Amino acid sequence: MPKVTLHKRGEVFSDEVAADSNLVVRAGIRRFPYPHLTYGCGMGKCGKCACRVIAGSEHLPAPNWKETKRLGDRIEAGFRLMCQLWISHDIELMQDDALNAAAPREG
Amino acid sequence: MPELMDQATFRTALETAIKGNTANKSPFSIAWAGGKLSRAHLARWAENHYHYVGPFAEYLAYVYARLPAHFTEAKDFMLSNMYEEEIGGDRHTDLLIRFAEACGTTGVRVKDPDNMSPTTRGLQSWCYAVAMREDPIVAIAGLVVGLESQVPSIYRRQTPTLREKYKFTDEEVEFFDLHIVSDEIHGERGYQIVLAHADTPDLQRRCLKICEVGAQMRLLYTTALYHDYVENDLPLRELDLAA
Repeated sequence: MPKVTLHKRGEVFSDEVAADSNLVVRAGIRRFPYPHLTYGCGMGKCGKCACRVIAGSEHLPAPNWKETKRLGDRIEAGFRLMCQLWISHDIELMQDDALNAAAPREG
Repeated sequence: MPELMDQATFRTALETAIKGNTANKSPFSIAWAGGKLSRAHLARWAENHYHYVGPFAEYLAYVYARLPAHFTEAKDFMLSNMYEEEIGGDRHTDLLIRFAEACGTTGVRVKDPDNMSPTTRGLQSWCYAVAMREDPIVAIAGLVVGLESQVPSIYRRQTPTLREKYKFTDEEVEFFDLHIVSDEIHGERGYQIVLAHADTPDLQRRCLKICEVGAQMRLLYTTALYHDYVENDLPLRELDLAA
């Protein structure tokens, strides 16, 4: 089972999840990374679930059209939208709510 | 006299009640997954589907209003479900209309209730009746567990086909993509609420029955779409479904 590590506000939260897990779905049904992962619309629009991938990005598919549209240049810095990803390998993430709130929104 | 089931047994019974009547078995769904529908068929689907899912927040609002005040978590879930349907991101029905337009119909036609079939009107009416009349936990079992929780499995089958065989663009099929995430959350939270609050044998029995009926209603609706709009162009024998 993939191990998910989430860095948030100076703390580190870690647990195993079933293969092919969507972390926003898991948080939505009150399982880890709930209550630590911030998320919003679940449809790649609001950007609240954006995380920087610290390790494990090589196992992820290329950013889809929603991530490209929503994250823009932040993709180059390793950001991804958790609502758009199904996790099947170990991954280490960092989420900064203030940064996500400050990021420009597409219309 | 039936005994109260533990939560694991009750969940399995709910899943079984739904599975026996999954809409994936309907000829319309099979033709869709096989890439055999035309854009005109899909346009008729969108014109009907709007009137089933369009009022979903209204169905939930009736249930929300009738849930006892101390069912705080269940009420909060219903409220967030309504919010996500309407204003959490893009309004879900706007995305359905975007798909409908890509199929060749118009937003005006989609919104016109005269373009839904009698069976669709029946499904919509059943949803309103359940929301207004059933015990609120039984209503959540019917609407959220029985109907909404089926959506991810249906759309996981149908969405790749829309891109690969029907050649729709990513933006045109966004309606389907978003439901794979949102309805997985809604369906599972619905299960959690029903498992926690159906705390008598009678409530459990009624939840099981309404899940079965809800799944039958969706199967009926989807099957009618085939007979109303597709059968003349695509007989059952071409779907390997002839009796």
